[in-house]
Amino acid sequence: MKSRKSLAFWCVVLGLIVAMTVFAGLFSTYGPNEMDMDTIYQPPGKGHVLGTDHLGRDVFSRLLEGGKVTLTVAGVSVILSFIIGVLYGGISGYIGGAVDVIMMRFLEALITIPSLILILAFQAFMQGGMWSMALIIGVTGWLVTARIVRSEFIRLKEAEFVKMAKMFGTPMWKIIFGHLLRNSVPAIFVVTLVNFTGAVFIEVSLSFLGIGVPSAIPSWGNMLFYAQNDILIGAWWIGLFPGIMIFLTILAINFIGEVLKDPRRRRLDA
Amino acid sequence: MISKWIGKRVVMGIIVLFIVSFLSFFIMHAAPGDPATAFYGGNAQTLNAAEKERISRVFSLDRPVIVQYGAWLWETVQGNFGYSSKEGRPVSVILFERLPNTLLLFSVTMFFIIVGSIWLGTVAGMKAGSMWDKGLSTISIASSSIPPFWLGILFISFFSVKLGILPSSGTEDVGGDGGLMDKIRHLIMPAAVIILTHVGIYARFLQESIKTESNKYYVLVARANGVAKREIQKGILRNASIPYLNYIGMTIPSFFGGAVIVESLFSWAGLGQLMVKAVMTKDFPLIMGGILSIGLLVVSSLLIIDLVMYGVDPKLRKGAYSK
Repeated sequence: MKSRKSLAFWCVVLGLIVAMTVFAGLFSTYGPNEMDMDTIYQPPGKGHVLGTDHLGRDVFSRLLEGGKVTLTVAGVSVILSFIIGVLYGGISGYIGGAVDVIMMRFLEALITIPSLILILAFQAFMQGGMWSMALIIGVTGWLVTARIVRSEFIRLKEAEFVKMAKMFGTPMWKIIFGHLLRNSVPAIFVVTLVNFTGAVFIEVSLSFLGIGVPSAIPSWGNMLFYAQNDILIGAWWIGLFPGIMIFLTILAINFIGEVLKDPRRRRLDA
Repeated sequence: MISKWIGKRVVMGIIVLFIVSFLSFFIMHAAPGDPATAFYGGNAQTLNAAEKERISRVFSLDRPVIVQYGAWLWETVQGNFGYSSKEGRPVSVILFERLPNTLLLFSVTMFFIIVGSIWLGTVAGMKAGSMWDKGLSTISIASSSIPPFWLGILFISFFSVKLGILPSSGTEDVGGDGGLMDKIRHLIMPAAVIILTHVGIYARFLQESIKTESNKYYVLVARANGVAKREIQKGILRNASIPYLNYIGMTIPSFFGGAVIVESLFSWAGLGQLMVKAVMTKDFPLIMGGILSIGLLVVSSLLIIDLVMYGVDPKLRKGAYSK
């Protein structure tokens, strides 16, 4: 019972964050890129709820708009890594044999590479907009998904109902999608949540270093990039709020994942 | 037996490094645009067409990527990493300047993370249902949700800007004596950031595996036979340490990835900060060298973990998993 309450609570928190950022235009009081040189570095208070930055832009409005960018990048990249992971793991697990061995060896090698390092290599020569960022994170983030899908497929392939379905001559695609993939959903879902937090971390980190999303587009990471200098002159609010938003988003997802990971909640224990 | 086993691991590690270099080489060459421009970054505008062509020829940029990779690999295997296109110094010299700092940061943080997580995890795991047990789960999730660099920003604004007791960046004071105390003062904040954001999650993993082990039959049987509590706990801990070590091995790559960010924030002159700088200046030979050395660090730490596991897990020694 307790876990259900906590699940509901964190889902509401996450839902609020997503709603606020998606409908950023409704909540923000200023344009995210609206500069006003008369009101630079205003501390939180009247007029600007969360203060202004070094160009007099409203921190609150940028926070919402930045969240949209960060969450979109993370969301798109997770969908991409989900597709690649399911395909790779599914093929490896379903076919089995020598194909499986080779594919898994390759995966094991890839998994020992810090993905951030590969992403840096990507970024060095094709720093583009937020879509290319999402693409890069997605292309490097499917490894764990593939491993989970493969082990689920191998486990389910031996299950009675799948053998039975095969015996009745159910078409292959129906077995793959209707039986194998469908029953792997709980496990894949948890790993996708973990991937999402990873993607948020990577976007935020790279933008923070100044090599992520172009600085003209507000994102939580980009806001923190400027906050590095602002904090040295005492403008703490510019860095504090984006950080809190990132923290809350990841915390909510982690707690949701925690509840869903609990085997007592699963029909099939993976 | 063990030498053959180590040999296999080393070969695997070399294959990994090969794949890493291959992938990163191709990724960077697949980038659209004129290769000479990519090589020279911002300075490319000052070159005329003839110069560009000469550069392409000298660096064999006009040849197919696979030929270029072959040439690069051949030089690298011989220990020649080329020259930094920005600084003009040999890449190997630059890497060796940076390596000690990264190793220092890595070993200090890893030491405290392992000691801290074993202590916390054991206390929490052995006292199931206690305050420790419940508290650790929540705290570990919370602490691992904090972006390390953001915690770093908060630390800088408090300890450096407000209190002024710790330096906000660098590895040693400019014009300082470069002594040990100086280094430690600079190390405290980056190390603390990494330790605080990681120790919880490792402790939690150990706690969970201790709990799983404690519910197994051999524990019940040992207890029924009146084996001393200390002896039972020793056995549990030993068995629980195997998945724990595995987990450390699994997370080492992302650990190094995270260190890149923290190093850059604190201007800690390590390999991670070097990589970020090289990416910004599009210093191709330096990026390749950096990727390879970080890859090498990951592979060797995995080898060390494997060796420890070999010592802890008798099944591994008897080759029980080799089938």
